[in-house]
Amino acid sequence: MRKALIAFVIYGLPIPLLLYSLTVGPSQEVGLADFWDWGKAVWSGTQESNTRLNMINNIIENIRLPRVLLTFIIGAGLASSGGALQGIFRNPLVDPYVLGISSGSAFGAALAIAFPLININISAFVLGVVSVILTYSFAFSDKKASLVAVILSGMIVSGIFTALLTIVQYISDPYKLQAIVQWTMGNLHHASWDKINSAALPIAVGVGGMYLLRWRLNLLALGDQEARAVGVNPNRDKIILVVLATLTTSSSVAAAGIISLYGLFVPHLTRMMVGPDNRKAMPANILFGGSFLVIIDNFSRSLMEFEIPIGIFTMLLGAPFFIFLMKKNKINWV
Amino acid sequence: MTKQAIEVRDLSFSYGNTSILEEVNVSFPEGKFSVVLGRNGSGKSTLFNILSGMATYRQGSVKLMGRERKELSFADCAPLMGFLPQFHKSVFPFQVRDVVLTGRAAFSSFSPKKADLEKVEQAIEELEITHLLNRPYTELSGGEQQLVMIARVLVQNPSIILLDEPTNHLDVYYQTFVLEKLRKLSQDKFTVIAIMHDPNLAFLYADHCFFMKNKTVVKTNLSNHDSELLHYVYNVQFTAVQVKDKTIVVPTL
Repeated sequence: MRKALIAFVIYGLPIPLLLYSLTVGPSQEVGLADFWDWGKAVWSGTQESNTRLNMINNIIENIRLPRVLLTFIIGAGLASSGGALQGIFRNPLVDPYVLGISSGSAFGAALAIAFPLININISAFVLGVVSVILTYSFAFSDKKASLVAVILSGMIVSGIFTALLTIVQYISDPYKLQAIVQWTMGNLHHASWDKINSAALPIAVGVGGMYLLRWRLNLLALGDQEARAVGVNPNRDKIILVVLATLTTSSSVAAAGIISLYGLFVPHLTRMMVGPDNRKAMPANILFGGSFLVIIDNFSRSLMEFEIPIGIFTMLLGAPFFIFLMKKNKINWV
Repeated sequence: MTKQAIEVRDLSFSYGNTSILEEVNVSFPEGKFSVVLGRNGSGKSTLFNILSGMATYRQGSVKLMGRERKELSFADCAPLMGFLPQFHKSVFPFQVRDVVLTGRAAFSSFSPKKADLEKVEQAIEELEITHLLNRPYTELSGGEQQLVMIARVLVQNPSIILLDEPTNHLDVYYQTFVLEKLRKLSQDKFTVIAIMHDPNLAFLYADHCFFMKNKTVVKTNLSNHDSELLHYVYNVQFTAVQVKDKTIVVPTL
């Protein structure tokens, strides 16, 4: 019974949830009844036959559908990146945000917004890679790093890039400044087909790669020595996975800003559901990660009169979770 | 003459200016249970790190089944050698089945095949830990964890199994259980080489004992580990006692 329920939450939930989410939004005009009418109209090919249907069609097709899809893709990407990074670093307290990848990518993307010389995706990816390399080299001495050293290094790297991001904001003109600030808060309300077009491919590559390597992740999670002991070079797998996770994160940051700590807590939820074996946890991260961010986003756009930026929302959810994990893992500060 | 699984010739090794191994010459015979003994800091672990490929050597030669160690890739080595490191603790509560299965990672890249799963069942049966199969590794006792890690090396099915202090931190039951299993493995087809600290357990179970002192393997007539040799190695006076055909030593009071 429990198994069936879990299987439904992971595999059965996404499609009905995505459909339902098309009926959620600040526009009171398009609720369930309108959605039903629209569905019938699309079925018969008459969705543009009158002004009402035309408006509904426009809201659903150009505003809600891209938003729901982008949210799902980004949720899937961040959760699977978080799961992969926790395995690689053997640390249940890391995610793209904790490791500084999000802030690095955000700085890269902000640079590209302020000085449109390079593609925003590429700039975000390059700085994401730089930040993870920095975090890794700050944290590791003599091939070892304590849980805490990794988190502190990530914090420092994150701080550096947040400072640099502030400089970019400071020297940007007001119009760009507003765009940068809104977007760093983690924002999905600018979702559009354009954003999906530029984010979908790199995220698909990243998530697809991590999915393929999900069993290798079990081996990496046991430790470097344990991998070498059975004749596997862990460094190659690690580098590939970190690049895939960074590609996924930086593309999602470029599309929707920093969605803090989401990659940290979803892998814990999926581990509670299917256990730590990444052969099961990785698909769960992808599907449930997508669904859960859609659920959070539905709240973020319907809970209040105004929309709460999703990055703020996930931070408020993630922070207590982080503290809980820290207590549970009995981290000692030496 | 028996074939040698590992042949080490004139091996020297240093970290920076600190010399760790000097002119080591030793051969470990194939299909036997060999034990390396010696005081802390005598170079045992470094020798094992070199044999297992964790450290790379520049001077001397190390041959695994006749092939030079440093010319072998990870993939070449996987069927030749499995290694049981000294400390292993898992952060994530993987099931025993999944931990053992990772021993097949060198052979199946993306996902384990059916044959891999069968090998896991076999290894687990061989070590009599079938009842642990679905338990989280992190909740097992030290002895049980050690057996799981040995099973993990077994599924890799290497010709040579290296173990760094396999009986450390184990109670007497698990010490004898593990050593009995290792002896049995060496009788099957494996070459088993272990670092140990207790000379008596080594004498009881091993086919050959090797002693390290002052950064090298002491040259010895292998069958003869008398109290004089032990005194030289450990700097402790021993009294030898015969138990059946085995020699047992106790520190002289």
